[in-house]
Amino acid sequence: MTMTARIVRAWPRLLATVISMAVLAVGISGLANVSQAVADTVHSPIVGSGSTWSANALQTWIRNVWANYQWKITYSESGSTIGRTDFANGTADFGVSEIPYAIANSNEQDSRPNRKYAYMPIVAGGTAFMYNLVIGGKKVSNLRLSGETVAKIFTGVISRWDDPAIKADNPSLALPSIPIVPVVRSDGSGATAQVSIWLRQMYPKYWDAYCGKVGRAPVNGHCGVTSNYPTVAGSGFVSRSGSNGVAGYVAQSHSVGAITFVEYSYALNAGFPVAKLLNAAGYYTEPTAQNVAVALLKAKINENENSADYLTQNLASVYTDSDKRSYPLSSYSYIILPTALEDGFTNDKGVTLADFGAYFLCEGQQSAEVLGYSPLPINLVKAGQKQIQKIPGGNPAIKGIAGCNNPTFSSDGSNKLAKTAPYPPECDKQGATQCATGTGGAKESTAQSGSGTDAASQSGTAVGADGTAGAATGAGVGGITSGQQVSGTPQSIPQARLTTTAYASMAAAGALLLGFSVAPPLLRTRGRHTWFRRDGWRKRR
Amino acid sequence: MTLRTADNGGPQPDLPRRVRVRRGPSDISFRVLTHAGGVAVLALMTLVGLFLGIRGTEAIVVAGPSFLTEQAWEPNSRRFGVAAVLFGTITIALIAIAVALPLALGTATYICEYAPVRLRRLLVGVVDLMAAIPSVVYGLWGMFWLEGQMIPVAQFISTYFGWIPILRVSQFDPNDPLASPTVFTASAFIAGLVVAMMVAPIAASIMREVFAQAPIGEREGALALGSSKWGMIRSVVYPFGLGGIVGGTMLGLGRALGETVAVYLVISPIFAINWQVLATGTNSISALIALRYGEATPFELSGLMAAGLVLFAITMVINFGAGFVMQRSRSGAAS
Repeated sequence: MTMTARIVRAWPRLLATVISMAVLAVGISGLANVSQAVADTVHSPIVGSGSTWSANALQTWIRNVWANYQWKITYSESGSTIGRTDFANGTADFGVSEIPYAIANSNEQDSRPNRKYAYMPIVAGGTAFMYNLVIGGKKVSNLRLSGETVAKIFTGVISRWDDPAIKADNPSLALPSIPIVPVVRSDGSGATAQVSIWLRQMYPKYWDAYCGKVGRAPVNGHCGVTSNYPTVAGSGFVSRSGSNGVAGYVAQSHSVGAITFVEYSYALNAGFPVAKLLNAAGYYTEPTAQNVAVALLKAKINENENSADYLTQNLASVYTDSDKRSYPLSSYSYIILPTALEDGFTNDKGVTLADFGAYFLCEGQQSAEVLGYSPLPINLVKAGQKQIQKIPGGNPAIKGIAGCNNPTFSSDGSNKLAKTAPYPPECDKQGATQCATGTGGAKESTAQSGSGTDAASQSGTAVGADGTAGAATGAGVGGITSGQQVSGTPQSIPQARLTTTAYASMAAAGALLLGFSVAPPLLRTRGRHTWFRRDGWRKRR
Repeated sequence: MTLRTADNGGPQPDLPRRVRVRRGPSDISFRVLTHAGGVAVLALMTLVGLFLGIRGTEAIVVAGPSFLTEQAWEPNSRRFGVAAVLFGTITIALIAIAVALPLALGTATYICEYAPVRLRRLLVGVVDLMAAIPSVVYGLWGMFWLEGQMIPVAQFISTYFGWIPILRVSQFDPNDPLASPTVFTASAFIAGLVVAMMVAPIAASIMREVFAQAPIGEREGALALGSSKWGMIRSVVYPFGLGGIVGGTMLGLGRALGETVAVYLVISPIFAINWQVLATGTNSISALIALRYGEATPFELSGLMAAGLVLFAITMVINFGAGFVMQRSRSGAAS
């Protein structure tokens, strides 16, 4: 076949593609006009990029505002590091990151962007240690780990599940002698940064030694804070990109022995348990919304409005909080908002972003707990409402504290969620007893297999027979159990009124697309026949 | 005849007639358009190479010749090189080609020679459709489905062929009942299989087009001399289509080297040369770029550009090689 013949044959298809694209574009713009006509102000579509840690919450909010108000927001889950870069380069209208720009003691030289920006917390949550462990054919759901053991696991100091350090944390489990497979993030991630900040502050001995092993130079005397978790080749560590990547790896049936750090919601979604982490009060706790809220009472928020890091967090005292209920690895996630009309940000986009901000600071927070996050407290909601007013073009409807209906709000200004948080049962105390109740997305309890005192009798729950998620006994804390109430407020749903023109153009676009996808193969078949005839021998066959 | 005798005089040298080409406006515009297209492609390629070269110079100057031998990737500590990522890129591509070549050859032979005409059209459509699936879909498929299915295969190979050094997995002891199958996940082998599924359709469609052009006279001749169908394919179709087989394979190799998303989703990146292709941990240049471009330092970006330049150069060499082989072969010259 000659080149020209190929071009001639491809030509109708090319033409068809171009025409159908054009028609499709007309159809879409027709739709866009319709939704614009409904609202008074124009809500331009906006694009965001960043954290996968808080993505489950963001994507739910984005779906909700699209269903209720037709505000088009696209969020790509690319990791905090790329989120910050995309915002700095102007390719995203907003970024989402666990850590601010140019964080202290960092291995990476992250610089602040040239465009004007402001930070705003979007949601709180706990970085959970999701694991896949099976003893005697039954999924373990009540693993407990001290911070030091976690540090040893993620720095390769201990490599087998029957290590004495893990046994000491879990007296009622007969741990198998299988290798631990620590699963870390391969992309630049805020969760990695949070874990490395925690390791650097709390367990510098192990973290510094690990830095030496992977050949990284220390930053200010200790191994640096990093968004890229380093691994030693052949050490049994596995790296995967994105929260879905690491959680998905751990959740595979062949990944017995794997453990990863990921936001609590991913463990709930995957139906997998998370390790209860030992806090400074000597209790093993789970990153439930309430435990996270208690822990974050100790977070130091930068309250200097003139600072470049206004509203950012310092979690040093959270790690050492002596409240029995506190979950040590709790943190806030941040959105990076543009505060000037630059890099393609327009007033119309500002309307969408400011309204979206107002939505998730109030209504959005109500779904945080069910999703596996923790709602923002009153001081951060108030500060956030001031931040969204800095968005150019925005005119957000700022709801009063009474109308916000946030589960943390109370009449006296204290954090209701933290105040009403239940104290952990005595079996969660460090010592010879161990609760049998499940955690995370695996609410079934675990039978005693080791020598220690089993606390299953205390809670009176039975071992889940089939091992599925949420097949559960009411003892579970947090998570999506069947009996949980979800608070909600009535929403008015504006109906998109479609005009005849819009319907007609959509129908035409559909018909043309169909026509152009069906026609070329038909035409091609006819062409093929003449070709055969010319060749002769094929026809005879 | 060199001389022409004229009536009016002696011999005159024979001059060629001056050919004057008068092109119509449609011819001229077509020529301009095609020339412009050809030049634009060349210019773009040169510009891409230049861009990578200029942006990468800073890092290459700092790293010096160790850029090609250093395995670690820590540009902030000024200790970085492409040895490990380049090794990973090539192992993944070779595994992919080793799987894709027989697959593509078999597919092309069946479609072209054995399949009934009606089925042939369907199969061509299916193969083309396979080529059109986005690589992220292959990546997710590899990550969530293929990996689990391939663990027993990798385990079998390492148990019975572990005496071959590259098929050994030193962390896996076949006699240990508690051995974890996770040592076989995220390996170059699995990444190579995923990439093979992506390059096989491309290679197969090139081979199919070339096989279809095998001269009928020679085919009939072979059959007339008593050759079986398979004999005819071996003695006529394959020698004729050799250029297509090599060219398709090389084009597939070019794509396998540059594949990003699918590899990035499947592998567990490490910065060390890992000869054990069945064991966890490998890397590739394009995956490295995708994972690390988010870092803000200009120097690190320069290092990534330099790595990109290496990949660009290798891909160019392979594609030129493919073009060369195809042009010198009979089938290539005809098309």
